[in-house]
Amino acid sequence: MNRRHTWVAAGAVVAAASLVAGCAGTARPAATDATGSQAGGSGGATTVTFRSWAPIDPALGGMIDAFEAGHEGVTVDATTMGGPDYWVDLAARVTSSTMSDVVGLMPGAQTQQYRDHLLPLNDCAVRVWGEDWEDKFHPIALDQARLGNPEGDDNYYGLPVLSQIMNIWANSEIMEQEGATIPATWAELEAVTPTYEGKGFTPFLLGAKEYWLNTSIYLELANNISPGTVYQAEDGEVPWTDPALVQAFEYWQKLFTDGIAQPGANALAPYPDAVGMFEAGDALFLPLGSQWIQQSDPTADQDTIAPLSRGMEGYEPFLFPTIPGGADEPQFVGGAEFLFGIAKSSTNQEQACDLITDWIAGDGGQVLINTLFDLPAVKGMEPEAFTSDKQRDIYRLMADEWLPEVKYSRYFKEPKIETAVADALAAVAAGSMTPAEAAESVQKVYDTL
Amino acid sequence: MTRVTLRDRLASFAFVLPALILFAVFVAYPIFYNLQASTLQWNGASDGTFVGLGNYGELLRDPVFRKTLVNSALWIPLTIVPQALIGLAFALMLDQPLRFRNVYRALLFIPAVLSPVVVGIVWSQILDPNHGTFATVARALGFDSLQLNFLGDPDTALFAVMAVNIWMFTGMSMLFYLAGLQLIDHSLFEAAKIDGASFLQRTTRITFPLLRTTHLTLLLLGIIGSLKTFELIYVMTSGGPFHATEMLPTYAFKQGFQVHEVGYASAISVALLVIAVGAALLMTRVFGAGFLTGEKK
Repeated sequence: MNRRHTWVAAGAVVAAASLVAGCAGTARPAATDATGSQAGGSGGATTVTFRSWAPIDPALGGMIDAFEAGHEGVTVDATTMGGPDYWVDLAARVTSSTMSDVVGLMPGAQTQQYRDHLLPLNDCAVRVWGEDWEDKFHPIALDQARLGNPEGDDNYYGLPVLSQIMNIWANSEIMEQEGATIPATWAELEAVTPTYEGKGFTPFLLGAKEYWLNTSIYLELANNISPGTVYQAEDGEVPWTDPALVQAFEYWQKLFTDGIAQPGANALAPYPDAVGMFEAGDALFLPLGSQWIQQSDPTADQDTIAPLSRGMEGYEPFLFPTIPGGADEPQFVGGAEFLFGIAKSSTNQEQACDLITDWIAGDGGQVLINTLFDLPAVKGMEPEAFTSDKQRDIYRLMADEWLPEVKYSRYFKEPKIETAVADALAAVAAGSMTPAEAAESVQKVYDTL
Repeated sequence: MTRVTLRDRLASFAFVLPALILFAVFVAYPIFYNLQASTLQWNGASDGTFVGLGNYGELLRDPVFRKTLVNSALWIPLTIVPQALIGLAFALMLDQPLRFRNVYRALLFIPAVLSPVVVGIVWSQILDPNHGTFATVARALGFDSLQLNFLGDPDTALFAVMAVNIWMFTGMSMLFYLAGLQLIDHSLFEAAKIDGASFLQRTTRITFPLLRTTHLTLLLLGIIGSLKTFELIYVMTSGGPFHATEMLPTYAFKQGFQVHEVGYASAISVALLVIAVGAALLMTRVFGAGFLTGEKK
């Protein structure tokens, strides 16, 4: 075959394959039975498929057992994987109409991205919990379940499973040993590193390599300076160059330039690097979030838990210090940690609804809360057992006193703004931008939306 | 001359057909899909909006995309050349009748078979300026100034990751050179020795030129590997600080799966494909189509 024939043949094959397989981004027929679900089968058993990055075993195994025990004839086929793998998996499954019945979702951009493929869950919630079901949830968790919904769209495409508060953790053993106190103001925070430098531990351990922690800290700073202004900027009511938002970038910069955070903070990942060091007792303060309580899982073999984490004996939570000229009290920043959604194409929607409602507020949800994976999204849930009084006190402080006070979201509505803020924070931390330039760079991105 | 019948043609085509199908499904179709996606403003889930070459226009205006090109332009020579030179040096050493040379060869090759994720995690910890091995040793020896923030400083981060890449893949270059050395007729070295040529002369005048196909193979594989670099950078720096180590694949991944701009990510992937194919074609043009096999043009 000469060269021309070869090209013609190759072109024909490509064209045929393209015609057969379809094109990117075009409308596709709704899946009929391509969800991976196996309805029917022997004895009328139904399998509900679940894919997510969280929760993970052993909590997930217990949740499945709890659900199956209460729902005869329904089994759960669960697959979990690391976050980045799951984002790719979910995107591929949505595109190829092979979504599992139940999916894990991040509030905001990710849920909105897949909104057309997700079942509105309002009816499911009413069926299981009744008309006043929204009262069961912490308001901030529900707010964030609808983060980014188009105006007038009151549907819930995902229901919140757990809540989270952003805060700082202190190593209480080092505090006691050094006579340290919780820094309540910026001046006290600034004094931490000079006071304790060279004592064999990192005074303020910041893992600023990942954008999610940086943007959360920025939101804590911005809200402590001028509560709520950052969300007004998101809505276009004030510019991103508003003095309060520039000031938030300045205070972020101070973490690096004023020697508060350790050298190399922007190359240290929060997980597993910073948390590993903190749990090993190598740091006094660690900015993170309420999910740290999961280190003290009361259901785990306590011998496998690091000594500091056992019963939360070595830790103390507190909120980001106040900023001079800002709010008098630290503001609560948090929200839904993750959501469960149901694929619109699922052939087991009723069972999938039973599953997610059970895992949020039923027996399965109790199993999850028992492991202290994070704070619950619904009010009044508490682990059935604590391993120490301190663990119980910390949990109740965060779940009963702090969580109802959370007004400010730890997420941005628009992924491009989140990326722009993350880039700006990274640039400020690396000394590549001034705070004013950082704010302008976010405004520039906002102007393109 | 034997006449080729239609039956012969069909039989030949039947033999090629499985490979053609695989090529069409796993190579041609994804490329076509990607090309088409790059003309859309698309989040990967909903229906996209056709924007023609809009994503490419945006690429040209995107400073981060330009940064990835600069980073790739630095990465290619600054990793391929040291990897090749050090690999060649090891190959020449381990081509000698040394005791335990197979053990040394295996030890040097081990990094190349490790997962880049594992290598990235380990080296990140080694380079940590507070508790890392490098900083600890520097501190113990009194060289406090060497406790540098290699991965957190935009001026050094790319070079730090390059150094790890060189450490990782030098063993691969060594292996290629060892294989190439076995193909050289040893009588050439014997003759050169008799003529009084030194080791350096034998290496530069005989060994180095006769390893031409190995050099070119490593160059081509190195260019393509460099353009595809993802895991090591994603684990060690996530493309930061402030895109200082961003490469085309990490940027495409972020655009596709963090910002949900799948159309734009596809345009980045197409740019990557064009650069990789362009580099391969350029090499074929310059060195001849048979450079990998050692055949003449």
